[in-house]
Amino acid sequence: MLSIPIERVDEYRWRIPKSARPGMRTDALIFASEDLLEAIRRDQSLEQAANVATLPGIVGPAIAMPDIHQGYGFPIGGVAATDIETGVVSPGGVGFDINCGVRLLASSLHVDEVRPRLKSLVHQLFRDVPSGTGQSSRLKLSDADLDDVLQRGPQWAVQHGIGSTADLDQTEERGCMPGADPQAVSSRAKQRGRPQIGTLGSGNHFLEVQVVDEVFDREAAERYNLDQGKITVLIHTGSRGLGHQVCTDYVAEMERVMERYQIRLPDRQLACAPIQSPEGQRYLRAMASAANFAWTNRHCIAQAARDAFKRVFDADVRMPLIYDVAHNIAKIETHQVDGKSRRVLVHRKGATRAFPGQPVFVPGSMGTASYLLLGRPGSSEAFGSACHGAGRLLSRSASKKGASAKEIQKELESRGIIVESLTREGLTEERPEAYKDIESVVDVVHNAGLASRVARLKPIGVIKG
Amino acid sequence: MGGEFQLLEHPSDIGILARGTSREEALIEVSKGMTSIMTDPARIRSAEERVFHVTGSDDASQVINWLNEILFYFDSEGLIFADFAVDAWTSQAIDGRAKGEHVEAARHELRTAVKAATYHQFELKETANGWELRVFLDI
Repeated sequence: MLSIPIERVDEYRWRIPKSARPGMRTDALIFASEDLLEAIRRDQSLEQAANVATLPGIVGPAIAMPDIHQGYGFPIGGVAATDIETGVVSPGGVGFDINCGVRLLASSLHVDEVRPRLKSLVHQLFRDVPSGTGQSSRLKLSDADLDDVLQRGPQWAVQHGIGSTADLDQTEERGCMPGADPQAVSSRAKQRGRPQIGTLGSGNHFLEVQVVDEVFDREAAERYNLDQGKITVLIHTGSRGLGHQVCTDYVAEMERVMERYQIRLPDRQLACAPIQSPEGQRYLRAMASAANFAWTNRHCIAQAARDAFKRVFDADVRMPLIYDVAHNIAKIETHQVDGKSRRVLVHRKGATRAFPGQPVFVPGSMGTASYLLLGRPGSSEAFGSACHGAGRLLSRSASKKGASAKEIQKELESRGIIVESLTREGLTEERPEAYKDIESVVDVVHNAGLASRVARLKPIGVIKG
Repeated sequence: MGGEFQLLEHPSDIGILARGTSREEALIEVSKGMTSIMTDPARIRSAEERVFHVTGSDDASQVINWLNEILFYFDSEGLIFADFAVDAWTSQAIDGRAKGEHVEAARHELRTAVKAATYHQFELKETANGWELRVFLDI
């Protein structure tokens, strides 16, 4: 248990005052219920939130969401805004999986039509979407293609007949971050990413077939063609090895130059450089490129999923994109801080942009539920952000001890959830019990006014890497 | 005495504690530990060799760059290694070799992919019995 001092602000807010630790430049603000805070205090995430508050140029408090858990340097489930002129950019504040995010497809299908052919559907999806480690993409990219993906994101795919411009309209940034520059991405990063476009990856990444279980906001749900019993597809993945290598490269580069900028931090994994420095600018260009790669990755996977549905059902199945959001990214935005308008770089690591009216997806575990939320004006308190998931409760090794892959698969099947995983670890390390209760995480976000519930989506088919 | 490794708990990821009679042996063990997270090392044949030359300003950055080299070959060429040798470790660089083969889903049991090696709680120290090396990985 940590000894870090923490004050209660109200039912859903807690504060670590900047006096708690030497070097803190600002408070840390934690959105959590009393129960969630108890779980949060079991690891080092609050300590890490306090460390984030030491970053040069940090504006407003360092924010922690209710799904926060211990990461590397930065906690996962955090937001940090830094002044665009005097602040720093930290690759660790975005994470190794740049633009890890979530894409949600609606469908014209009802669960009653899907149930009888669910096993074939999950099998078809598993065959058509390369899921895990060691599996290569079916898309072969030339050097020029890859640079085009990094520069323009899924526009490249649309031009090559994959998906449509309607998909771009429903993607954050239309899948193309300004400032992307393939020259800022190392050849090693390109070599790591090239064979992986259109693949899910392993760990907590997945593709889920879901049914709309409950609608909370009818008007918003109708806008997205969602109704109780309708089928949706949720895709959770990121920029694969390309993004991992970009982060690795720039953590190393910033480590080398921090001394020159007289930056000293309590954790090497927080390595950073001034936003306006050559290193900071180059990282932002590389990060934008990796983000575009990730949007293209989810775009291609979504199209493979649509094709799989059409093979199992019929060619008339419609599966429009509801939205695609990043939850590991840094963006230049304008926010009101202490009554003043400030240009800041908002690092969201395990946090979703939740501007008023923007869809927010909160994936739960494979056995529970996920949520579609809508950003609320209250999110301004968290630099326009909300949570990104349930948050881990058990370590991977603790989770593995609980049950075998076969037992988990059987247990889920008895609850009407068909799961196919390339690896045993995809099941044993990711079983539902390894995660916090999604309901209590969403309760906090809803009641604190960051984002409001639209619909709860329950999994019926899952593919895992 | 041969080296050994054990896996360490982390709330969302995983760590490796390796021991060896020398720091080179500890590095070889931590490398094997990372391979064991990704697949069963016993099933990897030494069919291909890659030469590693990694630089860094200190032990931590050199070790992390070495481990990231292994991940680079896994993602870019589908190569997985189980046999490692360290030829020289200076204050600027580590030179060594890794032997392994291309991953085949039918023969290799795939486990968990690793995103990166991190500085989180990194430790390399000499003990009464040799050397200990601790690294945490992002999964």
